[in-house]
Amino acid sequence: MSDPRSSQDQSNRPRTIDLVNAGLARRYRAERRFRLYGLSAISASLLVLALLLGSIVASGYSAFQQTFIRLDIVLDADQLRTNNLRQANYQGLVKQSLSTLFPAAVGRSEKRELYALVSSGAGFQIRDLVFASPELIGKSVPVWVPADDDVDMLVKGHLKVDEKAESHRLTTAQLGWIEQLRDQGRLSKQFNSAFFTNGDSREPETAGIRGAFTGSLFTVVVTLLLSFPVGVAAAVYLEEFAPRNRWTDLIEVNINNLAAVPSIVYGLLGLAVFLNFFGLPRSAPLVGGLVLALMTLPTLIIAGRAALQSVPPSIREAALGVGASKMQTVLHHVLPLALPGILTGAIIGMARALGESAPLLMIGMVAFIVDVPGGFNDPATVLPVQIYLWADSPERAFVERTSAAILVLLAFLIMMNGAAVLLRKKFERRW
Amino acid sequence: MFRKTVLFTAIALAAAGFGTAQAQSSRDYISIVGSSTVYPFATVVAEQFGKGSAFKTPKIESTGSGGGFKLFCAGVGVQHPDITNASRAIKASEIDTCKANGVAEIVEVKIGYDGIVLANSRKAKPMTISRKDIFLALAKQVPDPKGGEQVVANPYRTWQDVNAALPAVKIEVLGPPPTSGTRDAFLELAMEDGAKHFPWIKKMEKEDAKQFKSIAHTIREDGAFIEAGENDNLIVQKLEANVNAFGIFGFSFLDQNSDKIQGSLVDGIEPTFEAIAKGSYPLSRPLFFYVKKAHADVIPGIKQYLNEFTSEKAWGGDGYLAEKGMIPMPDAERKQYRAAATALKAMAAK
Amino acid sequence: MISTLSFVHSGAVKRGLQASGAIPSRFTVGDAAVQPTVGEPFSDQARMSCRQVNVYYGAKQSIIDVSLDIGRNEVVAMIGPSGCGKSTFIRCLNRMNDTIPGCRVDGTITLDGVDIYGKEIDVVPLRAQVGMVFQKPNPFPKSIYQNVAYGPKIHGLAQSRAELDEIVETSLRRAGLWDEVKDRLDQPGTSLSGGQQQRLCIARTIAVSPEVILMDEPCSALDPIATSVIEDLIGELKSQYSIAIVTHSMQQAARVSQRTAYLHLGKLLEVGQTERIFTRPRHPLTEAYITGRFG
Ligand SMILES: Nc1ncnc2c1ncn2[C@@H]1O[C@H](COP(=O)(O)OP(=O)(O)O)[C@@H](O)[C@H]1O
Ligand SMILES: [Mg+2]
Repeated sequence: MSDPRSSQDQSNRPRTIDLVNAGLARRYRAERRFRLYGLSAISASLLVLALLLGSIVASGYSAFQQTFIRLDIVLDADQLRTNNLRQANYQGLVKQSLSTLFPAAVGRSEKRELYALVSSGAGFQIRDLVFASPELIGKSVPVWVPADDDVDMLVKGHLKVDEKAESHRLTTAQLGWIEQLRDQGRLSKQFNSAFFTNGDSREPETAGIRGAFTGSLFTVVVTLLLSFPVGVAAAVYLEEFAPRNRWTDLIEVNINNLAAVPSIVYGLLGLAVFLNFFGLPRSAPLVGGLVLALMTLPTLIIAGRAALQSVPPSIREAALGVGASKMQTVLHHVLPLALPGILTGAIIGMARALGESAPLLMIGMVAFIVDVPGGFNDPATVLPVQIYLWADSPERAFVERTSAAILVLLAFLIMMNGAAVLLRKKFERRW
Repeated sequence: MFRKTVLFTAIALAAAGFGTAQAQSSRDYISIVGSSTVYPFATVVAEQFGKGSAFKTPKIESTGSGGGFKLFCAGVGVQHPDITNASRAIKASEIDTCKANGVAEIVEVKIGYDGIVLANSRKAKPMTISRKDIFLALAKQVPDPKGGEQVVANPYRTWQDVNAALPAVKIEVLGPPPTSGTRDAFLELAMEDGAKHFPWIKKMEKEDAKQFKSIAHTIREDGAFIEAGENDNLIVQKLEANVNAFGIFGFSFLDQNSDKIQGSLVDGIEPTFEAIAKGSYPLSRPLFFYVKKAHADVIPGIKQYLNEFTSEKAWGGDGYLAEKGMIPMPDAERKQYRAAATALKAMAAK
Repeated sequence: MISTLSFVHSGAVKRGLQASGAIPSRFTVGDAAVQPTVGEPFSDQARMSCRQVNVYYGAKQSIIDVSLDIGRNEVVAMIGPSGCGKSTFIRCLNRMNDTIPGCRVDGTITLDGVDIYGKEIDVVPLRAQVGMVFQKPNPFPKSIYQNVAYGPKIHGLAQSRAELDEIVETSLRRAGLWDEVKDRLDQPGTSLSGGQQQRLCIARTIAVSPEVILMDEPCSALDPIATSVIEDLIGELKSQYSIAIVTHSMQQAARVSQRTAYLHLGKLLEVGQTERIFTRPRHPLTEAYITGRFG
């Protein structure tokens, strides 16, 4: 019935299914290859991440413990009454108790070596104890005081010990005392709560991140309060209201540019504008927050605009169609729908601000600050700066504290980014 | 939600603005800037002072000596620092800037010494080296080994090339970048002195200071000298990993890591605490801080801070600063500077 | 009739024709393309009247000299091949095209004799008077109640919560949705089925008591059962509103409308009683379209 010629044509031409089958193996191979590339890319980055995290955890976890020495401190009433209570020689009490423990150490340099076993911050601990419970005066109380950082490093195995005594920081005599303390059960590793409750210190055993943490908090609060409303307003205006013309194009190009400007430039700007022109105080979280707000604004505006763009136009049409004004459309419908995206952008911006140290250098927030800041104008530093300062300190024990501070910062960043994901999940709407 | 945020911001800004006005009219803590070399010592004093007294702990920024003087000399008033630390004496030009900005009376306090060490891993042999050898090994241009009064690009590959007594090991030195005070001091104390071992270069210092500087102060860039960044801890770590490498850093890092690294003997002297204190170790420099006298009565605690810093328990031979690696001054010098500091005696015009 | 419409002959038509390119020659009968609208574009009971409406997207003209009335209590169906400008035209009627950058409308369009493109006209009250239902159901991602109550709320149509409840209920009843959703008014509008969503959108539109309702292919995303529910609904709504409906389904046009307008490449070729258009089309291109020879 059919045309004989065309049927012949058909028989000469390979059938489609044969062609498909012939090429199938090659197609699958290509697909497998492609998947393999992707997989190896991911595993490579995971490996690097694991290495990084692994090395930080490995060198940092030990900082969450601290070696303590139990001393029987005699809170001698006479000694404490001589001066006013605040100025009393509490470190002297610590030294006394060490001397009673090792009466053999008599020489001047020997005594010095003995006293060096205990942190120079121990005296402050005794002082706080006396202030907290004055009824203890006149009694002998067992107190766990932090060991000196060298002892701590030895106990944790970070200090090499060999026969040649002067090749490490502990003398043979000191090593002997440490051995005795250990035998008497007066030496133990305990949770290093000082790391979380103290401000910075030059003694690793009393150094903590609370000051830097509080400073970070104040700074990020200022950053958020400033950059979020300004960023959202700018994004909404540019996306929903501004006409498309040369000016808005120019503004857009500039915003995109600013997002890529190195952060140190914002520090210079902050120095010139906020410190030198407006005369705001140096090292203040207020200024840090201002600088970081400027830095995160472009990112926030870009994220905000992307979020607004992703709201389907049908929602705008629906609102306009029932007679909502432009502003009502934006405020009642578009913005709430874009909010998860905007918030995600904001949190990521804040996370970046939280991890930033370079611009703060210019405005004096890279500083040694012991007191925990109590307000937006108190001198303060931030976590990444604390990490930088500790990394630069000669004492060995700061090495592990640096890593521990990095771990705390990482934990915070993970929490913030996790919050971003949760927010997105929670408020995500399908249309 | 949106409206609330706006409201919050307005309130926060108003509050912050109000707070600022207050903070600017007074300051209840000491503000210190300056040298990164003095920073580890000044911070210890500040902490002891803050915890042991009713005053707040001073705030210390590590800005470098030059940066410190710039901030210090910018004027009188709470927004300007009270004290600047320096790893060198103030320059005449800096005194002039200070004067021009109304900072007329400055109290100079010398606090001790810092040594610069050339160190390597304990796994290798310690080296004994002269300043002349250091110059020949690290300068970009060195006197022609064939003789004559001209310089050639540094031809030396191994330490043995420089001096037959030194090991036959490739020259590999990790050191601080040009922004660092340690580098300045190293150029001045080691390189310049080494260059002066050649009489014709020494003569040049007077005749053509520029040419002299370009020879004595320029470090080679062919890979034998590696800029390792400001972080001295990093250099220590790299030395541990590479037994052939040497590093240049402050004495306190050697002191704190003496189980891993050892200092080279320079001109036959080992960089020990005692040798630097005695002044026999050649690569050492004095450390200072400068106080703005006009602030002493305005900012609470300045006098007490000076008292703490110049006390024997801080800067004395057995003081806590020595523990941190600062080399104390001889007794007489300490006495002299303590007297000047407690009396707030302004330095005479230079 | 044709002679009364002689003003349609204008330079713009010819320019537009040249711009839009030639009509496929086998459907061109004589100079049919440049002939004025065939049939009865005007109504004596007009709520909205359009005269010589031209719409441009930038330099491109998408509506060419269209003149048409939409009468009281009548359903006017707009049909025509895809891309001929049905949506563009209907969006002129509530100035929805204002939101498209580069879109320009000229000619006059009046609602009850008032020029809606006049200088003093505010689009907010206009859109309250001329409601719109879109091709794809687009309920707000809020509760069913909020969807319907939104319009009355922003326009202040209800003095109390009870009044608002009543508006919501009557609107949902009129849209034939009340019985299906009365127990779950607080559930999101987006959780409804496609047909229910479209009826929700209709309820949302009628909640603000407009004069005219525009519907742009309201059933194109719906199954036949949902479609017939909506079609019945349109038949009921006609008693109160004037309705302009765009549809690509000629059966639908035949079922719901009193008059039908045939648009072709931006031009209104023929308008007339629906029955007549489908049984005795006068324009050859209309005939070609309704007999399914192209579209
Ligand atoms: N936003 C727009 N910008 C530019 N051209 C458009 C736009 N919307 C529609 N058009 C063009 O206008 C013409 C009519 O489109 P439209 O009114 O959507 O047709 P219909 O609804 O009849 O399918 C088409 O050629 C289309 O490409
Ligand atoms: Mg359409």
